Amino acid sequence: MDNYLLSLFQLCDSNLPTGAFSHSFGLETYIQENKVHDKESFSEWLRMYVLGQLVYTDGLASRLTYEALEQNDAEAIWALDRKITVQALPRETREGTRKIGERMLTIGNDLYPSPLLSLYKEKTADGTAFGHPAIVFTIIAHQLNVPGNVILSTYLYSSISSLTQNAVRGIPLGQTAGQFILRDIQQWITKAIEQIRIMDIADFGAVAPGLEISQMKHERVHIRIFMS
Amino acid sequence: MLRLSMEKKRDKTVTKQMYFQGAFKMLRPHYFDNSGQACYFLINPGGGYVDGDRYRMEIKLEEQAELILTTQSATKVYKTPNTPVLQENEIILKKGSVLEYIPDPLIAYRDAKYKQNTIIKMERGATLFYNDILTPGWSPDGEWFRYELIQLKNEIYLDGKLIIFDHLKLQPDETGVNGIGYMEGYTHLGSMIVISEKVNEDVLQRLYGVIEKDLGECKAGLSLLTEGGFTLRILAHSTQKIEELMAACSAFLRKEWYGRHPVTLRKY
Repeated sequence: MDNYLLSLFQLCDSNLPTGAFSHSFGLETYIQENKVHDKESFSEWLRMYVLGQLVYTDGLASRLTYEALEQNDAEAIWALDRKITVQALPRETREGTRKIGERMLTIGNDLYPSPLLSLYKEKTADGTAFGHPAIVFTIIAHQLNVPGNVILSTYLYSSISSLTQNAVRGIPLGQTAGQFILRDIQQWITKAIEQIRIMDIADFGAVAPGLEISQMKHERVHIRIFMS
Repeated sequence: MLRLSMEKKRDKTVTKQMYFQGAFKMLRPHYFDNSGQACYFLINPGGGYVDGDRYRMEIKLEEQAELILTTQSATKVYKTPNTPVLQENEIILKKGSVLEYIPDPLIAYRDAKYKQNTIIKMERGATLFYNDILTPGWSPDGEWFRYELIQLKNEIYLDGKLIIFDHLKLQPDETGVNGIGYMEGYTHLGSMIVISEKVNEDVLQRLYGVIEKDLGECKAGLSLLTEGGFTLRILAHSTQKIEELMAACSAFLRKEWYGRHPVTLRKY
């Protein structure tokens, strides 16, 4: 068994207290408008979220972070941290991601400390960096000698599985339906990784416009169980 | 290629330098009111953009200069079988300057490929209103969405720091357009970016009021940036509807911030 496997389980566990359970990233707007209301409509939404959004943001950011780490280029990581943060125009999504990133950074720096994580944490404290979960996760996993593709698939899986659990609570869906979705998304993750591996860097940060507007509109959703 | 710089002389914004070459042209500046704010009309290439065309626009506003920059008609992109049309814009806004960039829509026809990279460098205290409207052209068979690619990137730097990276990439054939999360059945997409020290949560809430009143069937969202600004995105079925909503926003802000009347950019 690979040495990193159990550490990865821990990092991907939904019990890791990052606060991901309180963010829907626009899903709640669709639920309120009754556009996402059952297993099928949620699956379609989730497929779009992964293949139409995450690949260009978190996915490509993880790949670029990994490449920067291999080249010992910390400056590239700080530039990426800013770029991916200001790329998120909807405030709640940007701030939510930042909070998750900061908490993951704190936990990571406690559990698997390294000079780079500690510098990243200092930079978020003095405002010269924001903190992004895809970057933090990739740094921690890279330290544990996890290969790039495995980092991508586990990071994507953990983001998607928290969203799926949120959908189970928010729509609501049955627990079994949730598990079927988590099985089905595995093939999309494989597809997403293929896409990310060959992606042109110039495609970084492209948004799905309908999703983005729904993330903005969430600020106006009054009865809500999620913060984004 | 087009280069324009403006400066404030006494109470009036005047042309400091103007240079154009090739298909881009400009008329003489207009002054709509006694505020001293200048307005230039850009004249697009008559035949529209075709394969491999590259254009570059450089705009610079010196301290306190105020300019409205608009186009005389829509920018049309035709069939682009090989190399995408590339439009590069660089805008520099010095302290206290105000730029309202309100172009007509970009119309992308069948098989069009268009890329636009805009870099805006602002000093603190400068103000930017930046609009974009993307629309598909009609195909002879009466269908929308036959363009291949529209890719717009806006990078805005405030005192050297990146504060927005806005990237839209529409590829109707690859992602499908009607699906949830993408264009969701709409055909037209409008974006408005406003950067100003005067933007805050209160202004945003009141702007929401302005927008929601006339929203109709459109889908729109507004949100604050990390610092000093907001973006508005609108999905709609017509250019007119997006123009109405954006005009309502800019009329509100012109009145609120400068006590000025809305401008009517009469072109026809």
